[in-house]
Amino acid sequence: MIECPSCGRRQEPRLICADCGSPLSAEIDCFAALDIPQKLALELPALERIYHELSRKVHPDRFASSAVAVRDASLRATALLTRSYRTLRDPIARGLYWLELHGEKLAENNKNVPPDLAELVFDVQEHLAELRDVVGNGDSFNKLATQVSEKRTEVQALMDEGLGELERNFARWDTSKAAQESMLKLELKAILSKIAYLRTLLRDVDRALEGSQAA
Amino acid sequence: MANIFGIDLGTTNSLIAAMENGAPKVIAERDSGATLLPSVVAIAPDGAVTVGERAIELEPHLTVERDGRVSAVGFPGGEYGAVIRSVKRYMGLGGNEVAAEDRARYTFADLSGPVVRFQIGKRSFTPSQISAEILRALKERAESSLENEKVERVVITVPAYFNDGQRQATKDAGRLAGLEVIRLVNEPTAASLAYGLNKMATGNVAVYDFGGGTFDISILSIKEGIFEVLATNGDTHLGGDDIDNAIVDWLLSELPETVKRDRHVWNSARMAAEDAKKRLTEASETRIVVELPGHTVKKNLTRAALDEIAGPFVARTLNRCELALKDAKLSAREIDAIVLVGGSTRMPIVRKRVATMFQREPLCSIDPDQVVALGAAVQASVLMGTQGDMLLLDVVPLSLGIETMGGIMERLIHRNTTIPTSITEGFTTAVDNQTHVDVHVLQGERELAKDCRSLARFKLGPIQPQPAGVPRIDVAFLIDANGILNVNARDQRTGREHSIDVKPSYGLTDDEIERMLEEAIDLGEQDLEERLLISARNDAEQILGALQKQLGEFGNLVEAGERAQIVETAGRLEAARKGTDREFIAKLVEELNEITTPFAERIMDAAIKLALEKKSVEELA
Repeated sequence: MIECPSCGRRQEPRLICADCGSPLSAEIDCFAALDIPQKLALELPALERIYHELSRKVHPDRFASSAVAVRDASLRATALLTRSYRTLRDPIARGLYWLELHGEKLAENNKNVPPDLAELVFDVQEHLAELRDVVGNGDSFNKLATQVSEKRTEVQALMDEGLGELERNFARWDTSKAAQESMLKLELKAILSKIAYLRTLLRDVDRALEGSQAA
Repeated sequence: MANIFGIDLGTTNSLIAAMENGAPKVIAERDSGATLLPSVVAIAPDGAVTVGERAIELEPHLTVERDGRVSAVGFPGGEYGAVIRSVKRYMGLGGNEVAAEDRARYTFADLSGPVVRFQIGKRSFTPSQISAEILRALKERAESSLENEKVERVVITVPAYFNDGQRQATKDAGRLAGLEVIRLVNEPTAASLAYGLNKMATGNVAVYDFGGGTFDISILSIKEGIFEVLATNGDTHLGGDDIDNAIVDWLLSELPETVKRDRHVWNSARMAAEDAKKRLTEASETRIVVELPGHTVKKNLTRAALDEIAGPFVARTLNRCELALKDAKLSAREIDAIVLVGGSTRMPIVRKRVATMFQREPLCSIDPDQVVALGAAVQASVLMGTQGDMLLLDVVPLSLGIETMGGIMERLIHRNTTIPTSITEGFTTAVDNQTHVDVHVLQGERELAKDCRSLARFKLGPIQPQPAGVPRIDVAFLIDANGILNVNARDQRTGREHSIDVKPSYGLTDDEIERMLEEAIDLGEQDLEERLLISARNDAEQILGALQKQLGEFGNLVEAGERAQIVETAGRLEAARKGTDREFIAKLVEELNEITTPFAERIMDAAIKLALEKKSVEELA
């Protein structure tokens, strides 16, 4: 139970006070913050509308002249709301978060290469290593950068494929029976670890390509 | 409830605005009607402060007298008082971050400290203190124009790309000026509010903000009154100043370094360059004349030549636009409107290149010098709850992270994350019985900690002695709506809040601000008359001191009858400054100034001739 800093009412943790509508400083999950059921398939435009609507109610700009405790609750509620929206609007982050809520946290910075990606990953990493060696050396860098960009397209295509698979399955998983849950988690985990791996790889590629500009 | 005012604390000009009958309006100076306050602060050796147009007159420069002589006037810096312009460029900088060219321009105190300090007379001033003077002048301007209103609560705008230290320094300036800073708002976002209010636009908007010292690009999505920033990028050391400096380099290219670096010469050339740049907004060619003692620089500058000088700077801004678009996951074609902000967007080359990149004509119906201040006033009314459903969702411009093993920067909050935002990170010990964990907070986009900007360091603890890896302390990093970091720590096992002494790597500690505030209050309580008297006495002391030095060093340049007259007036001033008649002291200072001017000109003449001769000798050799 938490207490509303505006009206003092004690209540179950939620984003907004049930009585006076002021923000609360609560520790709740992302779905609860946005007040939606724990579903994998989400309509993004609807999610954005909810996010905007709730932002109007809890944002610090609305409480600039309020008491310190209320301002503090507003700050925390908005930070929670923003984090929740950013997590749920991204299908990968949403999937990972859903697994986490169901006790299946995917290891961070997964270093195990999914077997069917091994060849591609090895190839890309090798190119990246070469690219890093020639940073600052205009011509060689540009030549290698072009090759790396081509590889990037390949990785991106695989990633898009994985994302499509993920989105296609979301609705099916949402309607699956409780008995199938462990199966569902396994499938979800397999797709997500592949995508998460590809995403890390894409980030590495982008950073290596940006590396020359930043330097 | 007291009004909240909007302030644009700009590199070149500052403005204050407020809502009037539902529309934002810049508050003009009561007598002159001026809306822009030049962000120029003159500080005399005794600490007496002048801000704005009158401070510009005190900048070291050359002036042509009625008889055709060229003489050096203004505060030359250091012990003789200094005039600081573009102080915003120094906000949040550490002593070691001051560039060599800046060191030629101003006298700095010890540069090893965590904050830049300008040395003026016997005192040193931080950029926040100098900025506080601009804020105070704006406050006075508004209070005298509006009569029965007090300016106490304000919104201050900052470049979107300002880092944590620069934001903190701006907030400190507000506090030092006795203002409650309700919110820092990003300049391009503020500008979008000013435009959005008229039209309640919907769509994707790019705000291109090229000011005197900073460049920002922000991409926003506007939907039913929600102004959501998708991405921002920029350069806090790129502005019209850089173009002016490049023109000066071209203008004075034939002169020897020693003459170019002279503060009087350089400033005069800078003023001429700035004027020429402005004329070339309309004209296609202009003549620039800079009168130096015994030498005149005359050059023609065409629009095409200016475009060539400005081109590389504009190219850098467009590069930043590309990066922002990429982060916003939008192409230039998907931008529905582009808004121009900042004085530098008056340059035709800027408009042309921006229009080409975004393939549409930019909007500039609101004065680019005023639009940020107007937007700040709109945001102020949002904060007062009088702006209906309008809401601003801004982002943090730079990633925030911590240093991990091997000096790698681990990102905790990525750039362009909507603020306020928070993340909790668990820390533990690496060896048995470790009682403290060191945390180093960084900001930036580079992979190595050493290439990022250090924000703060702190120690977690004391931790009860336990085997390595057992203790768990959760540290919550929270970025508030101003884009400023707050840190909180809690021991997972005991549930105890850890006190953290966050030591900023750059910037002022709370204690230092308290001390500066006390000093300021001391000054404020002094009787005004008394302050004026002290100021007059100091003027007297300054001119007498300088004169004595000059008579010693350049005695051969004094003409026969002149010396007697100078000595006599100096003697009268010497006696007067011990009394309490400040008007009499001021009158004698002026008199002495007048009769020593020809002497001062001869000194300047000699110095420049010497430098020019030296150059021709070098050329011959």
